[in-house]
Amino acid sequence: MHAEDSAAPPSQVGSPPATPRGASGRPRFWLTNEFGLIVLIAVFVTAFGLLTPGFLSPFNLFALGRTAAINVMIGLSMMVVIVTGGLNLAVGAIGVCGAMACGWLIQDAGLPWPLAILGGLAMGAALGFVNGWTIVRSGLHSFIITLASMSIFFGLMIFLSRGESYRELPSVFSSFGRLRVLDGTLSPLVLVAVAVAVLLVVLYRFTVAGREMLAAGAKPEAAALSGIRVDRVFIYCHMLSGLLAGIAALMLVARNGAALPSMAGQLGQDWLLPAFLGPVLGGTLLSGGRVSVVGTFLGAFLVTLLTSGLLLLQVGEFWVQAFLGLLLLLAVLMDMARRSFLARRRMV
Amino acid sequence: MGALSRYARTDWFGPLLVTVLAIIIVGAFNPSFLSPLNIQVLLLAISVNALIAFSQMIIIAVGQMNLSVGAIGGLAAISFAGMMQVWGLPVPVAAVLALLIGLAAGMVNGAFIAWTGISAFVITLASLSMFKGINLGITQAQPFYGIPDAVKAFGNTTFIDPLPWLVLPTALVAVGLWFLLNRQALGRFILAVGGNSHAAELSGISVGFTVVAAHAISGLLAALAGIMLVARLQIGQPTIGDDWLILSFAAPVIGGAVLSGGHVSVSATLLGVVIVAIITQALVLFNIDPFLVQVVLGVLILWAVGINRLRELRLRKAVAGV
Amino acid sequence: MSRHIRSVVLAGLALLAGAGTAAADDTRVALVPGGPHPYFAAWEQAGKDAARDFKLAAADYKVPQKWELSTQNQLLESLVTQGYNAFLVFPGDPVGSVSTVAELADSGAPVIATAGCLKDPSEAQFCLGTDVGNSAYLGTKELLKAMAGKKRILHVTGFLVDPNTQLRIDAVEKAAKEDGAQVVQVIADIDAPEPAEEKINAYLAAHAADVDGIVSTAWVPSVVAANALRRIGDKRIQMVAIDHDEVVLKAIKDGFLHGTMLQNPYGQAYIGSHVVDRLRNGCTIKADAPWKTNALTSHFVDSGTVFVGADKVDTYVSAMQDITKNLLASFDATYLNCNS
Repeated sequence: MHAEDSAAPPSQVGSPPATPRGASGRPRFWLTNEFGLIVLIAVFVTAFGLLTPGFLSPFNLFALGRTAAINVMIGLSMMVVIVTGGLNLAVGAIGVCGAMACGWLIQDAGLPWPLAILGGLAMGAALGFVNGWTIVRSGLHSFIITLASMSIFFGLMIFLSRGESYRELPSVFSSFGRLRVLDGTLSPLVLVAVAVAVLLVVLYRFTVAGREMLAAGAKPEAAALSGIRVDRVFIYCHMLSGLLAGIAALMLVARNGAALPSMAGQLGQDWLLPAFLGPVLGGTLLSGGRVSVVGTFLGAFLVTLLTSGLLLLQVGEFWVQAFLGLLLLLAVLMDMARRSFLARRRMV
Repeated sequence: MGALSRYARTDWFGPLLVTVLAIIIVGAFNPSFLSPLNIQVLLLAISVNALIAFSQMIIIAVGQMNLSVGAIGGLAAISFAGMMQVWGLPVPVAAVLALLIGLAAGMVNGAFIAWTGISAFVITLASLSMFKGINLGITQAQPFYGIPDAVKAFGNTTFIDPLPWLVLPTALVAVGLWFLLNRQALGRFILAVGGNSHAAELSGISVGFTVVAAHAISGLLAALAGIMLVARLQIGQPTIGDDWLILSFAAPVIGGAVLSGGHVSVSATLLGVVIVAIITQALVLFNIDPFLVQVVLGVLILWAVGINRLRELRLRKAVAGV
Repeated sequence: MSRHIRSVVLAGLALLAGAGTAAADDTRVALVPGGPHPYFAAWEQAGKDAARDFKLAAADYKVPQKWELSTQNQLLESLVTQGYNAFLVFPGDPVGSVSTVAELADSGAPVIATAGCLKDPSEAQFCLGTDVGNSAYLGTKELLKAMAGKKRILHVTGFLVDPNTQLRIDAVEKAAKEDGAQVVQVIADIDAPEPAEEKINAYLAAHAADVDGIVSTAWVPSVVAANALRRIGDKRIQMVAIDHDEVVLKAIKDGFLHGTMLQNPYGQAYIGSHVVDRLRNGCTIKADAPWKTNALTSHFVDSGTVFVGADKVDTYVSAMQDITKNLLASFDATYLNCNS
């Protein structure tokens, strides 16, 4: 499996791939971004395991996995929009709207919970559609559209729900959130995240729709000329983003046992940093056309790992955010350095 | 009629109409809206929000975006308060140092962007977290309460009823910015880089230097907003700046700023701030649900960007047609 | 040889005796608020004093970086891994925190919901806090006394995510209705300086003539409203606040405020630390103790509230200390079953 998928096949002359390829056309694994992340994860797990008592305890691994699963979903939700070369600042707002819709369907409309979950996901996809349609029709940059829509979606949701939470959800939600498998070290939420990631890999590697998304994101004009309905593809990307945001929010509902409007912060902006950290660390380019699902997964996991380790080291809860910002900066700098290093070596 | 269409093409005419209309409508429904006390409250809000809007406006002018406006403002605010409380520095010294912190933070942003070529979005997202994190690390989320009375008075009293003292720094900044963008070389460079950075480079402008300068000014203005907010709130609150993001974009956009760069208007941005302040207050006055403020801001942004886009398209068609 | 054996045996006995008394010392209490807020500042000192007075291994005040449930959850999970085995928690959400508290209890740690309650059923041993409804009720009654027959009240209060806020809104409404007065406006979600300043100033600027009294049931709005009344020089509008911020106390002395309702953050943390330690050392909760009931839980212990007017402003600290002393003295007998 190629660690990075891109629209340009390796044999295309004149467009050097990001990683040097061996004879079989596969990228050398140890120079990829993903391998770097695996190494970092291994290093930090060892370091924290030695430095802090209890890092490798079943409870901590369980809690870590559960938080990481949610961060992975948030990162994936942003990643599918970054593929189009755009941004979705409204991931948090859409996610919360989806979760609150699910809560309303259960508590006020009396639907059984499986249907309500589908309803919540449908809400997420619908809001994503609104974003995508507006961006495509107006030709405006997705930054300003999703900046406005995050306000509008969140504000309307709060207004309609009067800021109240749905706290009478069936116990299946909180039971799922607290379930522990594999000798008490793993949360099923991790399995959900893995399943979604696998589906996304299949999408981008093996389906026409996925390849169209990559092509449209890389070079919209060229894609349009080769018959791809770029506008429609972009809308699908935004709908997918909304759907994934809804999944992330529902995972949070399972973790909390309640649908709270404040679950993603004011306007949903607390999700912005994890939404970008995952994909950027994972090597997904902001210019679009390239995606790394595995990288996003590993990146989000690494960030959660580091946060958890820092808390255990009693570094001071208040320095964690500064550290995450520094991490993001270092990640983009290192990625830039890695690409220019590889580009130079190809020239030589 | 020619004069009217000429006015209609300026950035500030539309917002001015809306402002006047809003004042008349709200004033008709609630006469105390125009009372001196209420005007004072409005001006206090506008004074700080205008600086936040200008801080983002100068970055929009150069064709980028600055997500760390709030974080820089918050860091400067707590530094200002902390230096006075913990180190006992006199007010002017603390204020100057806090402004320098904002300037430096902006320069760090600009330097990274210019040097690495990485998008301003990612750089300022990272720096937003770093500055906010430093803020939290220093304050441990506890505010600084020891604000000198002179500062508190500056933030809350008037010099000529109903104009509060806080209006003065903002007015000076507005004039200064107008002068910079319309009469000074640096201002022209900023707009040129925003309009077309390649062309600017070819005509000899140092794009890197211009970008750093623009971010430095942005940081300085954000810091000034933070300091003024400490004076108004009367405490050095670490959460200052947390909700500046939408506001910093709404006002310039309402004022006709083009997000791809090269075209901003100081006066129209100021009017944008006034419109937002009036609407926010009106929602409180009419007991409308406060959460609708967010919806209204979002709709305003969409409407404003939409109008700007239409104007842009119409202009392009006119140019192409000739 | 026998002398050696004797000294070894004596040393061994001394060690056992020491271990016996040290057994109580391995209680590590974590005091965790919902987020940064001036109200909880007293918890830090109370924890230190409790650790010293009750010989605990630790009673540490740990604050989540912001008022966000996920942040508090992550912190609590981390604290379990760090070895804390007793918790005093202000729930980030009355239902949203039930799952997390259950996980804390599963790890063997007794948990007391402090200053805010979880919704029953939960694994918290009980809830120790201000009877916020009662406090808001009494405060409103005091305000009405000062308002002398006038009827229009503005109620400013805290975060909507705070489980106590709705209880306070309901209590103020009830007190007002009983005296034929009316709550003309409730401004909630303003327990932070910027939104409080913006909304309270805007409201007073436009509607100052439409209210006769203000009741504040949250810390920050109390401070902001006191400052606002002082700024506009108004002594016609009566106000009763909450908590003991310096600004509020000074405003009472200067006549801008009628008084304030004190809560007991120090007592909550101090007594709570003592009780979790007892619970870890063989005591259990008495099912038939005189528990109070509020909207969230039926296992509630009131940590005390008192109205402080201009005459008692200077001695408010000792008023609260008396309440704490009394509650502590009778707590074990009233609420716990202890075998040792």
